This record gives sequence, C-alpha cells and structure tokens, in this order.
Amino acid sequence: MIFLTLVLSTFREAVAKKIFLGFFAISTLVILIFLFLINVESVEGMVDMMGAAGDEGIRKLVIGFEVAMIDISYLLIITFCLISVSSFIPSMLEKGNIDLLLSKPISRTNIILAKFTGGVMLVFFSLVYLIGFVWIILSSKSGFWHFPFLYTILWLTLSFAIIYSLIIFIGLVSQSTILSILVSFFLVFIVCPILYVREATIFSLVENNVVQFIINFFYYILPKPNDINKITTDIITGEEVNSYMPVFSSILFMLAVLSASVFYFKKKDY
Amino acid sequence: MSIITTKNLSKEYSSKSFSKEKILALNNFSFEVESGEIFGILGPNGAGKTTLIKILLGITHRTKGEVKIFDNEINTEAYKMKVGYLPENHKFPNYLNGEQVMEFYGKMSGMSSADVGKKTNDLLKLVDMEKWRKTKIKKYSKGMLQRLGLAQAMINDPELIFLDEPTDGVDPIGRKEIRDILENLKDRGKTIFLNSHLLSEVELICDRVAIMHKGSLVKSGRVDEITHISDNYIINCSDVSEVIMNRLMMNFKATILSINEFHFKTDNIDELNRLIDFMRQNNILIRGIQREKNTLENMFINLIGSQN
Repeated sequence: MIFLTLVLSTFREAVAKKIFLGFFAISTLVILIFLFLINVESVEGMVDMMGAAGDEGIRKLVIGFEVAMIDISYLLIITFCLISVSSFIPSMLEKGNIDLLLSKPISRTNIILAKFTGGVMLVFFSLVYLIGFVWIILSSKSGFWHFPFLYTILWLTLSFAIIYSLIIFIGLVSQSTILSILVSFFLVFIVCPILYVREATIFSLVENNVVQFIINFFYYILPKPNDINKITTDIITGEEVNSYMPVFSSILFMLAVLSASVFYFKKKDY
Repeated sequence: MSIITTKNLSKEYSSKSFSKEKILALNNFSFEVESGEIFGILGPNGAGKTTLIKILLGITHRTKGEVKIFDNEINTEAYKMKVGYLPENHKFPNYLNGEQVMEFYGKMSGMSSADVGKKTNDLLKLVDMEKWRKTKIKKYSKGMLQRLGLAQAMINDPELIFLDEPTDGVDPIGRKEIRDILENLKDRGKTIFLNSHLLSEVELICDRVAIMHKGSLVKSGRVDEITHISDNYIINCSDVSEVIMNRLMMNFKATILSINEFHFKTDNIDELNRLIDFMRQNNILIRGIQREKNTLENMFINLIGSQN
C-alpha cells in the first residue's frame, strides 16, 4: 500500500510537471504525422502497388514502417523521457522533503524501487499509447495485423529502465538533475553507439590488443541500448537474433546499478 | 514509562567529503522521554538538536550508542507507524493542494483511504485550514504551511510527535492556537518532542526540557525546577539619598541599580522585613517588591554563556 502510494506519487509528479502531457503531445504529433503520411497519395499508391504483389508485399511495407517507428520511438524515449525523469530523484532528495519521506514506515530500499517502478511504468504507459495507436492505424490501413510490433513496447521500456537505473544512481550521488541528464546522454548518444560499432570501425583503426581489450571490457559492462534496438528490429522483421547476451548483460548492469543505488541510499545521512 | 531512551548516543560527521576530520554532532547523549509528556529540546544553533531528532527517526544514522523508541531498538521501520513528524523547513511537493498533502502523507503512514479522508477533515478543521484545502500549497504563506505541516504530523494519530520549530513563521495568534493544539494532544496522552527557539513558548508548554550544547547534554529537568523562583528581590522605591544608598549597600548588601531601584538577596523573610522597616523609617516610599523569577531564557543564556 505504502509502496503503491509512492509509485502513484511519481505519476502525479509527472502529471504535475507536465511530463505526461508533453509525452502525450509529442506522441500525438508523431501519430498524426504517421496518419498523414500513410494517407498521402504517393504512399497510398505504394500500398496499392505492394498490395498487388500480394500479402508478402504488404507485410514488407508494414514492417518497414514499424522499423522506422522503432527508431523514432527510441529517439523519443532517450531525448524526452530521460530529460523528464531525471528530476525525480533530485527533487525527492530536497531538504525538507526527504526528511519527511524517511520518517514514514517505508524502507529506503522500497523508496528507490518505488521511484524506479513509477518512472518505468510512466514510460510503459506512454509507449502503449504511442506504439499502440501506430499499430492500430497501420494494421487497419493495411489489413495486416502484425502483433510482434507490440513487443516493441516492452523492449523500449527495458531500454529505458536500464538507463533510468543509472539516472537514479547519479541523481542520488550528485543530487543534480543536469548531471544526470548529461551523463545519461553522454552514455546513450556517444559511448554506447561507439562501443556498438567498435568491431566495424575502431578495431580496424586500432590494432593494439590492450586497447581493444579495454574497449571490449567497457562494451561488456556498460548497457547496450543499440544492441537491444537491433534485437527488437530483428524480432519484428522475423530475422534470427544472433545473441541475447546484450539484453542479459544490460539487465545485469541495471540490477548492479540499482543495488549500488540502494546501498548508497541506505548508508547516506540526510 | 519511557517512550524514548538513548544511551551514549554519538554522531560524527566528516567535515568535508573524503576528509578524515570529524565533527562531533552528538557526544554520548543519554536521556529519556516519558510517555504523555511534552519534552522540549533546547540549545544554540549547531548544538545537535535536529541531528538528535533525525537519528530518532532514522533519517540520519548514529555513529554509536543505543536508541530505543516504544521500548524497541529502531532497526526496522515499524515504529514509524506510531510516529508523526514536522521537520524544520519542510517542503511538501508544491503541485499538491492541502488535501492531497494530507492524503499522500496519510497513505505513506500506512492508512487506508477512508481513514485518511476522515482524519483530513478533522485535522484541517483543527488547524483552521479547511477553507484552503483545495488550494495548491505553492500559494500558501509560511504560517499556512506550518499549520498544514502540523496537521500532517498528526494524520496517523501518532503516539509520539516530533516537532522541529512548529511555530516558525506563525503569527502570535497562530502560535497560541498551536500551543492549544499541543496541550490538547497532551491531554489525549500523546507524547510530544519539541524543538523550538522560542524559549518563552517552551516554558509555557513543556513539562521537561533538555539543554544541549556542542552535542552534549548540559542540563535537563522539569521546567518548574529549572525556572525556580530565586532569592533575589527587586525593589522599586522613591528616590534615595547617597547616604541611604551606602547604608543599603553596607548593612543589607543590596545591589543598587539606580536611585529608585535596587536588588536585595535573601532567603530569610525576616531580613526582608528588616529592610522594609529601615526604608519606612527613612521615609522612603516603597512602590513595589517583586521576587525575581529565573526565566528559562535567563537560565539558558547564563548556562550557555558559562559553557562558551
């Protein structure tokens, strides 16, 4: 009951800070653009043309749209959600607020888990709206109801949860919203993409084994949102997934960072 | 029965991050708070009062020593179900209104929605905030926030209430109303742990006080014992001549403050009457004789002054 109250308060905070409204507005804009795109004559013509090629043609077209949608949603998640939720922990830690929270009969572990759950659920429901509507529009227009696309909601939520765990940790240690955003952006937009293409690009330029080992080391311990994105695309397109290692190692990263957050929060004096 | 017991409670802070230099916020602090009393904690800024409250509530961790609340070690969160707290400079989420603040903290204390609703109505009436219940708290004045904070601290009908500067920012009428609420709580058997800078207020409502200085307990006891009536008399009279002044000083060891006011110290009522006889024989008009009361404030200033 107390845990649920704290989870719901995260929602309430998101609504009050217009985070929910912002995501709803952006999602609605994306949906409307999508709706407009598939109704323009050239695209309609393409749908008719692919339809003439049979079910396989329609399938390919729908999946093509869906893959594009994953990339758009991924960008939305990173740019909007991470910025929005980065203030949750620093605002919770404000003097006068944290004192009251810690005086209530809830453990510090549960406070962290409730904040984590609240943020993840917020993004999950936002994605249900965005992906769900796109799926309905695409399916009703094409007549091809491609259910695996809905798994995107879970995969993107997982990607978010992994990065959010890091934001919680940075928020707890630094009590700074800006630093949480900067570090998460640096990780997601610079470090992770570089590590993702390390074999194709960096290793062809740097042949030193030690440097390669260090780069590989960071690849394996850090989260892998780009790999998860690729796995999601593979699942939707029906291609074979080479390895689920990036998912498991990213989940391990999330659990390790959350454990570190709980450990730090339990030891800290306020 | 003791509600709070601490034994040799100590707290050390690092002066800076990663520094080995330590600041002793609490130094072997031992005290007890009895059930049903209003207990005041006094001390200058930095004495360790808020640290003490935070340790008792599990907000800050102790370095060493024992703490028992409701006769149990404070290792779990269970005891907090029976505790209310109003922190100094509390900060409620400013997107909530008064009613929502009560609802949130009530539920965070483990109450059901129905109980929270009923209690909210009663408490907002009690602190005279009912008409502002739907107003966002970012529009509240400091005094209104304090009233709401007090109501919040009582939402779960706690047996023990910690109040850190509850009348901060509240006008004199509001302070009187808060005092009345605290008296009412005491009559209902609640234990109140009060930290206030307003010594006159503490003197008015507290049963017992503890005075802290630099993390240590300097003095504790019943307020009426600490603020006992002294043996010093303040005498106001008509103007006295220099000769009379000298005789007052020589024969009665009086301390002359002005030509019409002096202090006379005695624990013997016959001595006082002898002084009065002397003054009357010398045609001095006695305007007033008042036995000096050692206020909490005087005692506090003297005590802390002597410690520095």
